[in-house]
Amino acid sequence: MIELRELTKRYGGRVAVDALSVQVRPGVVTGFLGPNGSGKSTTMRMILGLDAPDHGEALIDGVRYAQLTRPLRTVGALLDAGAFHPGRSGRAHLAALAASNDIPAARVGEVLRVVGLSGAGDRRAGTYSLGMRQRLGVAVALLGDPGVLLLDEPVNGLDPEGIRWIRDLLRGLAAEGRTVFVSSHLIAEMALTAERLVVIGQGRLLAETTVAGLAAGHDSLEDAFFRLTSQATDYRGTGVS
Amino acid sequence: MRLAARMEWIKLRSVRSTWWLAIGAVVAMAAAGAGVGLGYRSHTPVATAAQIFNNSLGGAVLAQLLLSALGVLMVTGEYGSGTIRSTLAAVPRRRTVLAAKTLVCGGFALTVGLVASFAGYLSGQLAIRGTAIPAAGLGDPGILQAVVLTGVYLGATALIGVGLGAVVRHSGAAIGTLFGLMFVPMIAAGLFGESGITIGRFLPLLMLLNSIAVTKPVPGLFTGWVSVLLMAGYATVILLSGGVVLRRRDA
Repeated sequence: MIELRELTKRYGGRVAVDALSVQVRPGVVTGFLGPNGSGKSTTMRMILGLDAPDHGEALIDGVRYAQLTRPLRTVGALLDAGAFHPGRSGRAHLAALAASNDIPAARVGEVLRVVGLSGAGDRRAGTYSLGMRQRLGVAVALLGDPGVLLLDEPVNGLDPEGIRWIRDLLRGLAAEGRTVFVSSHLIAEMALTAERLVVIGQGRLLAETTVAGLAAGHDSLEDAFFRLTSQATDYRGTGVS
Repeated sequence: MRLAARMEWIKLRSVRSTWWLAIGAVVAMAAAGAGVGLGYRSHTPVATAAQIFNNSLGGAVLAQLLLSALGVLMVTGEYGSGTIRSTLAAVPRRRTVLAAKTLVCGGFALTVGLVASFAGYLSGQLAIRGTAIPAAGLGDPGILQAVVLTGVYLGATALIGVGLGAVVRHSGAAIGTLFGLMFVPMIAAGLFGESGITIGRFLPLLMLLNSIAVTKPVPGLFTGWVSVLLMAGYATVILLSGGVVLRRRDA
């Protein structure tokens, strides 16, 4: 269970996240949707205690992230893909994180198998493709067998087979009773993966609903999403002609 | 803390740059020692034991740059690649992370520094074997102390690197700042001639060459022990600053 209470973050004069109050429940995949720059990543970083909120708080099972003693055993996170030292092997990256949270070293091989990187674990991460880095990021998230998973744009860079794999993986993890919170700007993908949706724009909560609830009364989920976020999109291109 | 230190040790040993910098530091000192020894073989009048010994540790000037870069990269390498967020998510108490890096980097750099320092001394002595130049034995006054203190000095420079990395966060900027801090004040102090020594005795590079890596400190400078303690003090101050910055700023 993740609980955000009036979570607020400002950068200079700009409000990145604006009094966001949301509950993310266990047992289902919750999609975190919003246009580029809407505050999804900032919210995720605040949940993990990487960025300090200016107001409000983010709680995981009732406590702040910083208060968790072995945080990787409670929360697994995939933030930005490719956040690996290019000269270090995937296996060593995982081994270092496992050591920090007293996770048995054997778990490293297990998660590499789960994400399909057994054969590439000893290669330097700098030689990985974007899809492989994304898989290594998922392995990091799964390392501590956590009850709460946070994934920021996990399908970026994955091929269709990889996208389906991550969809099944996330749904399976939620079915085991875990809390799964996945951000994306790809509405169609979220429609297939998530059951519940949290939609934000310009840092504010626009809707907290189900996939079916959002689509109701519109031609498509995409139309519903655009209608919802039309007043809250920072960057928009125009036609070329 | 023990677990965080294990994480840092795995991270340190699993990148090649660590080993290249460590080997580079040892080779630099060994090569400088051998070069100095060989050079003095044809020197007239015959050099003194102190002359050749003092100069044979001259490779420490290069070794300190390599080991301080090692310390810098231990922090800025994580910011550059984004790994810092994984690290801080795994160990949310940020001062524990910096303490673990300090412990692991300090222990490693001290070991490498001592090996490098002995390598400089030994290769210098080997290069003059069988000549008329008097040898400097480890039992002779000041020799062992100078070799050990040079190793400790090198360990301290790596910790200054860690602290500066935590403050500056960017590899290029941190290494540039570090090298600037090493050389610019020394050049400035040199402009004041003899009177520059009142400030110069506080400067790392001058301390190394005139007080630490020598049999007897140059008059006006602190003793080797005091100079090394000063270095440890500098490292402590910059590490504490790094701790404050690490805690305050968003990752």
